Amino acid sequence: MTENKEQTIDLISAKALALAEIFSIVVSCLIAEWVFLSFFSRHRWLVIVPLILAVIFMILSHRAYNESAQMIGFRVDNFLSAVRLLLWPTLLAVIVILVVGWFLSGPPVLSRLLRPRLLLVPGWALLQQYALQGYINRRTQVAFGKGAVSICVVAVVFALLHLPNPVLTFITFIGALVWAAIYQREANLFALAASHTVASISLALALPLNVINGLRVGFKYFG
Amino acid sequence: MTKSTLIRFLIGKSILETVLVATIAVGFYINAFPPYFHGWGEATATTIAGWAVNNNAPSERVSVQLFVDGTFVAAQSANLARPDVPAAGWAEDEWHGYSFALPALGAGTHEARVYALHESGSGTRLTLQQLGDPIRFSLDASGRLIDLAKPHP
Repeated sequence: MTENKEQTIDLISAKALALAEIFSIVVSCLIAEWVFLSFFSRHRWLVIVPLILAVIFMILSHRAYNESAQMIGFRVDNFLSAVRLLLWPTLLAVIVILVVGWFLSGPPVLSRLLRPRLLLVPGWALLQQYALQGYINRRTQVAFGKGAVSICVVAVVFALLHLPNPVLTFITFIGALVWAAIYQREANLFALAASHTVASISLALALPLNVINGLRVGFKYFG
Repeated sequence: MTKSTLIRFLIGKSILETVLVATIAVGFYINAFPPYFHGWGEATATTIAGWAVNNNAPSERVSVQLFVDGTFVAAQSANLARPDVPAAGWAEDEWHGYSFALPALGAGTHEARVYALHESGSGTRLTLQQLGDPIRFSLDASGRLIDLAKPHP
């Protein structure tokens, strides 16, 4: 019986399964953004329902693929190597964001640093990098192997999740290209989350709210 | 955990999400467009008049809006006397009527639609629900309305 099941799995290629997994996680994220955040504005915490479903599924998937936390990127031994790779792209991104922000609306609004929600950014960045690199990047590598194709797929997925905000979609596409490429060289989610945090806070401080529309995505972008 | 189990979880997750989204969609639709509003309207000699009742709260007055040829004309609360409403069993009291005077309209055929205004989402959402059928009418030489749905001599 079990042998028959595994034969069925062989028929469904590893590539198809990996793509189906990516699709499933993207759908969960889109449901969170476009359905839960839009229709439960007074009970926003309900957004955790699709997110928890996605996280449970990703954990089960790691078990099915025999992936350890270290393999996924929850590790410290290569933290400095990953930071070295991330340093210049992150600095460059921050400089570009600050220059564009200054050009559009003057110096960064440092008072925005006092917003309590900024304290959540590192945790949120780690969760996003885990889903994007620790899961989607790894599955795109199953489907397409290491290299340009899987890196581009990761970037497209991340950009897709920031629609319909055009500025965020563009920025996240570029950011994900860099992060995905670096993850394939040095899989360290803490370093990626640090880079993500610095970039997000720079965006929130430097760019005018009407340009980034309060970093809103999904239906919330429109209202 | 085998990959066949993972596929089963994948299918289960997809079904669960589909049910979840469908439930939210149906719930939202019922909340935003509840099937409680009933009403009827006609063109009288000088007005568009009729009645509106919210079956979920029959003692409350319904806010109604008039659109003629797709353009907003006026809004009011349906609180005029309509003895035919309790007589037909739609409500216990008769204060559910509305009557809209029309602005100057050009010659020819026109179409009026009367909508019930419904508030949902704790006041963050307002939706319109059409009451009865669209009212087609024309204007005669003296400016009086002729309801095209009624038989004329």
